[in-house]
Amino acid sequence: MERSQHRRLSRIITGALAVGALALTGCAAGDKESNDAAALDAPFAAQTQKAAGPVASVTWMLGAEPTTMDADIDATTADDTVLANICDRLMQVQPDLTLGQGIASDAKWADDTHVVFTIRQDAVFHDGTPVTTADVLWSMKRHAAEGAAESDEYANVVSMKQTADDQITVTTTQPDAIFLQAMAGDGGIVWNPRVIKAEGSDFGGPGSDSACSGPYQITSWQPGAQLTIEKVADYWNSGVTARADKVIFHWGEESATVNNLTTGSAQGAYLENAGAAVALEGSSTVSVYQGPSTNAWVLETTDRGVLTDARLRQALSLALNREGIAKAAFGGLAQPWKTPVGSGAWGYEVDAFQQAYDKLSGAPAKPYDADLAKAKKLVEEAGAPSEPLVVASNGSSTHNVIANALVAAAKSIGLEAEIKVVPQAQYGDFYSDAELRGQADLWPDEYYISKNDPLGFYKNGKSDASVNFGVFNDPKYDALVAKGYAATDDAERAKITIELQQEWVDQAVWIPVVATPSTLIMSNDVTGVPSSAAYIYYPWAADLGSAKG
Amino acid sequence: MSHAIRKLGGMLLTLVVASFVIFAAMFAAPGDPVTFLIGNPENMTPERIASVRAQYHLDEPMLVQYWHWATGALTGDFGQSFHYHQPVADILATRVPITLSLVGYAAVLLAVFGIGLGVLAAVRRGRAADTLVVGGTTLAASVPSFVVGIALVALFAVQVRWFPVSGAGSGFGGRLYSLTLPAVTLAVGALAIVSRVTRQSMIEQFSSEHVEAARATGLAERFIVRDHVLRGSWGPIITMVALVIASMIAGTVAVETVFGISGVGSLLVDAINTHDFPVVQAVLLFMVVAYMIVTTIVDLLLPVLDPRIGRKAVTA
Repeated sequence: MERSQHRRLSRIITGALAVGALALTGCAAGDKESNDAAALDAPFAAQTQKAAGPVASVTWMLGAEPTTMDADIDATTADDTVLANICDRLMQVQPDLTLGQGIASDAKWADDTHVVFTIRQDAVFHDGTPVTTADVLWSMKRHAAEGAAESDEYANVVSMKQTADDQITVTTTQPDAIFLQAMAGDGGIVWNPRVIKAEGSDFGGPGSDSACSGPYQITSWQPGAQLTIEKVADYWNSGVTARADKVIFHWGEESATVNNLTTGSAQGAYLENAGAAVALEGSSTVSVYQGPSTNAWVLETTDRGVLTDARLRQALSLALNREGIAKAAFGGLAQPWKTPVGSGAWGYEVDAFQQAYDKLSGAPAKPYDADLAKAKKLVEEAGAPSEPLVVASNGSSTHNVIANALVAAAKSIGLEAEIKVVPQAQYGDFYSDAELRGQADLWPDEYYISKNDPLGFYKNGKSDASVNFGVFNDPKYDALVAKGYAATDDAERAKITIELQQEWVDQAVWIPVVATPSTLIMSNDVTGVPSSAAYIYYPWAADLGSAKG
Repeated sequence: MSHAIRKLGGMLLTLVVASFVIFAAMFAAPGDPVTFLIGNPENMTPERIASVRAQYHLDEPMLVQYWHWATGALTGDFGQSFHYHQPVADILATRVPITLSLVGYAAVLLAVFGIGLGVLAAVRRGRAADTLVVGGTTLAASVPSFVVGIALVALFAVQVRWFPVSGAGSGFGGRLYSLTLPAVTLAVGALAIVSRVTRQSMIEQFSSEHVEAARATGLAERFIVRDHVLRGSWGPIITMVALVIASMIAGTVAVETVFGISGVGSLLVDAINTHDFPVVQAVLLFMVVAYMIVTTIVDLLLPVLDPRIGRKAVTA
């Protein structure tokens, strides 16, 4: 499943606070000129420089307190950031977001509906018991159980059976090319059934025993204060040398995170809001890194009124000033983007996706005269609507900037548009409440997928997808999605997905705004971790080490 | 005795009414808890929404839901947090001590400096010191606490690095050290009202007959201030300090957020925004109870400090 949406809220609530804090600390530090053109030097790569040596203890900041370590109940970004180091999964996302092996040493589609996992027999849980094929099967069944947070990943699964000592065969109703990707996420975690049974309903909370086999384990979790993970003495996978002995997690608002790094009381953090890193500009002790993620801000569309006409959506997309949004709302740390999903989704056939992306038009970084002329012509053809467009905002600065940019874009091509403010606590209901959707034509939001395959996003254009709100309905597209899911060959699937991407962007189903890369801030004393969004599932702490030997 | 019973009954009634009002308010607030409970927009199918509603009793009428909650609460079971998936009691148990120590620290600062400044202003009434105290505290009170907090962090934590940037610290010393800036932030805003009440009630005492009489006996001014003026002023001062402390318990939200402290204030904001009903309910009830306890203590304390109050109560 996708990472939980909870995190978005705390960011929004205190957005104003954080901005104020940043402005103030920036001024106080005296190293920040109020200069719009100042660009922060944030290298874009999947990984930071390899560590030169081990490190005894590192303090890491999270955006919020972890909630539970039972990913079958729920997993927030903070939970996943910790859990990534604690638990092994069937498959493993690599720092460059491609798919590697985990507890399964091999995974192959035998035919369209059978996938066979070969289970390593040398893995060991933290309690010293071996990871058996039966344990893996038990874990998969727990993930698939009705009501479990990850059960949607198993939606197409009809049966899971142990078919040899080291083999599990999963039977699906239909081809599901993304299933292997899902096994690198929380739906692929391998649990120790004995621990989970013994802990009962306490499992996952502070003080409960570890049910995992990863390179680290939680040694203390003081709710409201801190959580500590330590390297396990002899990690079963001798190919992994964990460099950090201990990572202590603290949590706080982004302003507190930035301040803690500035003063040296913490050494790193993955930010949920890239813009917060702007305050570190010019710092000599802390650096900012960015890397691929699937996150992108989009303007989601509803069938409330005129936007069911593709021409008006296309016109708005042509007229939107994405560069201005990236600068005003994200301090330049977001990229104007032509598709509704970030480059982190390209987990395979990266070149093919990159080339296809480069060729896309219809979502310029900045509207040039030719774009505006084209947009105006589209509006003319469609006929101007009788009532103004309504774009929703929840009042956070990012939402406001994007909503205002949309209004400006509409005006520039002769359309009327107005902003409707919806309380923050209600904003997420756009996804669940058709009545609320009936009050706005568009609403900006940050969207992301947890599997590094763009197909996992473009399936949302299917006419029966739960986030297709009625503006797009094309049987040919639906058929193409099905074909994509059947394509277990990467090259073939990439080709189909690129066709879907082309269609989605041509139709401007949702209007793409900016991609928000994964943003890492880290003390210059340490290095090694991925700067991509891999930190959600990949044991990043094992790569964390000293910058000097 | 009957007075105590009546008092206790009143408190219980207040609690019940408060808990119901809070519940009703949460129920009426915009936003659907289901959105947060499901999280992933791609999973928000009508079937899933219905099953989650049923699982959390959200499909039942408000009164039934309240009954579920109230019967649990009576047996000490405040339910499970929707967000943390832990018992609400466990969550509160780690947060309440942090908020209480923050408020306690701020209360000490407030009492010492607020009353101190008030005494200074009263003794030097009409002079430069008086103007400075009144003007300075008013200015401080007019700045929102999160702005004060951000400024203090920028100056004392980021610039000169005397104090930690965030967190509540551990151990008595560590906690005291870590909570200094937040406690100062909390106290600064309330200095004005306490010092003003102190000043005003002392000035009234200065011109009262028993002070004139004491002065006529030739007592040194400092004894007059201590034994006659201040003594007679304790009533309003203590009442005001207590009210300020009681409101602080519910007002730590901004300060906890700025200083990254996991107390009940920041817990409440997060819980409201994620529609975490059981946590909101428990936190607000904690605040109501804390308020009642503080005001009750003052009620009991005042007659001891100022015997006139007890007598009035009897004759009234």
